[in-house]
Amino acid sequence: MNTTTTRMMSCKEVLANLSTYVDEDGSAELRHLLEEHIAWCRRCQVVFDTTGRMVKIVRDAEPFEIPLAVSARLYARLETVLSGD
Amino acid sequence: MNPDEIGPGEEDLAFVQRVLAGDRRCFEPLVRRHERRVFRVALAVLGNIEDAEDAMQEVFIKAFRHLDQFRGESRFTTWLTRIAVNEALQKRQARKESVPLDESREADERPLPRRFEPWTANPEQLYGQQEVRQLVEAAIQALPSIYRETLVLRDVEGMSAEEAAEALGIKVEALKSRLLRARLMLRETLGSAMEEPRPLGTKIVHSAVRMRNMMKVMLARAAGR
Repeated sequence: MNTTTTRMMSCKEVLANLSTYVDEDGSAELRHLLEEHIAWCRRCQVVFDTTGRMVKIVRDAEPFEIPLAVSARLYARLETVLSGD
Repeated sequence: MNPDEIGPGEEDLAFVQRVLAGDRRCFEPLVRRHERRVFRVALAVLGNIEDAEDAMQEVFIKAFRHLDQFRGESRFTTWLTRIAVNEALQKRQARKESVPLDESREADERPLPRRFEPWTANPEQLYGQQEVRQLVEAAIQALPSIYRETLVLRDVEGMSAEEAAEALGIKVEALKSRLLRARLMLRETLGSAMEEPRPLGTKIVHSAVRMRNMMKVMLARAAGR
């Protein structure tokens, strides 16, 4: 038996490192362990894949547009400050 | 620093220097460039548009009056976002909210994922861009505030973990743990809309398996009688 083999990570440990995987940081060794786990664990694979896609969807959606009226009132207020002070 | 951000950062710096040299009108382009970010950050912390609007106005007035304190050591965006988070947090405190329930039980609960179905390949095709945005906004708004503000700073505004932690006045480790939880909660909420519709075949197989199991139980009971 190969004694240098690193132990497999549990789902709980893998989940704790979800952000490491999604944000593509962490050591190469850790990434390898995570990839090894999700290669055989379908549930973790789905969680990792969908979380990664969600982060992209959230960023691309550019949520919370500033309402026009809110923006207009900001400029009106600033006008008094910029011209008055 | 991300090399892509050097350009806009330098433009900010040029406007700042012109305002400081006496050209007050150059503050307006700075506002135009950053109003969306300041609004989003204030909304994330405060949770409603009215308070976010008040906070945003205060943020830009403070930034204008204290512009000479911007040393250019960090990016202007980071400096302004820090002011925005501070202002919004102060406003939240002034509303005399007691410690939110979610904050007090923060440490002991980590929701395990409960949904394990893959997501549809292209949600934009299924829903259209506007609808996806609305789904995302509703799901973020439904998060408890400490998770909402963390997720917005990291995943919407793209701040680093260190920048976001500093702006919120918490340790990087705490920020990371909040982000993980925020993402898992958001994934659960969005999952109901984003999961692939299960093909009829799978449903039939699942029903058949359930039926067979039920039969087994009934047969076993009948045999034991």
